[in-house]
Amino acid sequence: MTRAEVVSLNAGRARRRRPARSADSGTDELRRLRSQLGEAREALVRAERQSRRPGLLAGLARLAESGISLANWETLARLQKSLYFAFHSERVDEFGYDPRFAASLEPLLEFLYAVWWRVETVGIEHVPASGAGLVVANHSGVLPWDGLMVKLAIKHQHPARRHCRLLALDMFALLPFLAPMLARHGEIRANPENAERVLREGGLVGVFPEGVKGVGKYYRERYKLARFGRGGFVRVALRTGAPLIPCAVVGAEEIHPVLAKADWIGRPLGLPYFPITPTFPALGPLGVIPLPTKWSIDFSDPVPTEAYGPEAAEDPILVNRLTEQVRTTLQQMIDGRLARRRSVWFG
Amino acid sequence: MGRIAITGIASFLGARALRRLAEVRGPEALLAIDIAAPPARLAGVRHVLLDLTLPAADQRLLDVFREEEVDTVLHAAFLTNPRRDSGYAHELESIGTLNLVAAAAAAGVRHLVMRSFTALYGAGGRNPHLLGEQHPVSGADALGWVRDKREAERHALDYARRYPELRVTILRFAPLLGPGVHTFYTRILERRVVSVLMGYDPLLQLLHPIDAVDALDTALRKRVAGVFNIVPARAMALLTALHLADKVVVPVPHPMAYALANLAWAAGLGEAPAGFVDYARYPFLADGERARRDLGFEPRYDSHQALEAYLRYRFPHGETAPDGPVLRRPA
Repeated sequence: MTRAEVVSLNAGRARRRRPARSADSGTDELRRLRSQLGEAREALVRAERQSRRPGLLAGLARLAESGISLANWETLARLQKSLYFAFHSERVDEFGYDPRFAASLEPLLEFLYAVWWRVETVGIEHVPASGAGLVVANHSGVLPWDGLMVKLAIKHQHPARRHCRLLALDMFALLPFLAPMLARHGEIRANPENAERVLREGGLVGVFPEGVKGVGKYYRERYKLARFGRGGFVRVALRTGAPLIPCAVVGAEEIHPVLAKADWIGRPLGLPYFPITPTFPALGPLGVIPLPTKWSIDFSDPVPTEAYGPEAAEDPILVNRLTEQVRTTLQQMIDGRLARRRSVWFG
Repeated sequence: MGRIAITGIASFLGARALRRLAEVRGPEALLAIDIAAPPARLAGVRHVLLDLTLPAADQRLLDVFREEEVDTVLHAAFLTNPRRDSGYAHELESIGTLNLVAAAAAAGVRHLVMRSFTALYGAGGRNPHLLGEQHPVSGADALGWVRDKREAERHALDYARRYPELRVTILRFAPLLGPGVHTFYTRILERRVVSVLMGYDPLLQLLHPIDAVDALDTALRKRVAGVFNIVPARAMALLTALHLADKVVVPVPHPMAYALANLAWAAGLGEAPAGFVDYARYPFLADGERARRDLGFEPRYDSHQALEAYLRYRFPHGETAPDGPVLRRPA
């Protein structure tokens, strides 16, 4: 102990007593000192309190800190999970059809059906109320909206509210984002095995035999049916005995008038065609909005196939004849509609 | 009736089959052939220490089959996990199976049941929705994992054709998931963050191990020759499975994914080489109709139930991955 100091116990009292004994000028000095001491003490308390209350920067830092502790993996996983299951069901059917997902898309499709294109559906009674059936429709419109409208027409106008599964072209069924969406919506990839599976279970299948030639056709070729593939859809119908139901869609061929195709852009992107329409790509994303034409969907008498028997699927002459029969029926239905139509926009 | 020889008893399915058969037929009816010993609990099971990859394995197998009066062989010595030493996988699966079927044919074995995988069809956008057994198993030829197993199947079917008295049953199992399953894809399920392909959500078939063992047992009893898909009752979407398992899903654009997967595999971080990325992109769903019709095999569980059973087994307290904040709080 180098600096030991002896402090008397009544040292404070002695000090306080001392000024009292001194002169009056001393008392004023003392008062001043006392008030200074009090102010300093208050300032200290204030400063201490303030250091506990956060300033702007300190507050931000603290918020960020609590944000980080909130943003843990578990919260993120829960957020993703609830977002996913808001639009998807846990269980899907054999082909991946998800009723919850389909229902979440329905408002948009209904708007397009009833308001945008004011679709008029005629002859829905030709679609069988039960059992297998193959709806054969013309294809157009760059994007396959016509298929979705045929599907909606059958679902909403038919008394049996049947679910018609569309055969989706590979080019759509293999694209990222679109592929899982089509599957969840109940579409299946266009492939004879898939179509047969649904038909054998007594389901309804929608097919567009023009395929990619139809959906990407030029404006000047509108309502002229392209070749009907190689009759694969007829063979499927013959093998399963499902009737063929021709379905003519009028109005869809004008929603994206294709003036030219830029294959040199499309091919490197892996697209079968790159359409140039009055609005696309000139207006960018807005060019994807289809024109609000007036649509009609006509179903006609089914062509029965049961009488031929499944082995008739191997008879190329018969397959070709039935293909042509359906094609001419469709072309006549389309021509009849076009003759009666006075306006592209108002029907 | 002769003995049943079982190869690959250290594999998950082989071990389960051994346990089931020891219960049903008694341990003395069995013969375990493996470089690993059977579990101590199955003390009554005779065991032959034999490496299928050795040059003289077929001769030794022939001797063993004759000595032990083996009339049925259950071949389960296959590798579910992709390996970096692809040479060993080839020796075991392709050459090992060749040794085994050659010895079985020579010893007059009557029935060979072989484990295989529906993944051999390959995942592809152009696959039919449900792959039948007649569909060629050459969809994913670039993968050594697939090639070795496909060769094994071909060896077995070749011998079946040359030796009509040897019945060969090949069971192509959908990916197994359930209590006790530990594979490269369950290791992915144990992570908190899982990368998926942006814009893809294929359907998956997940087979409960109980159904798999049932199918093996049925095939051994029915002795029907042929190839059969063994699949669960229903498929489920990949993203549904991952979200039910409370994973954080990070979408990766597919043009990048293959290169990244190869990079991760080469660096020892990934669970599988790039060829497996296709299985997260496209479906490879197999049709179980033939097994239902000809074997009378009816799965008891669907994919959803298999996943739930696995999650209950692996995460009994509901937590589905090691937890922690994204960024550590400063200490």
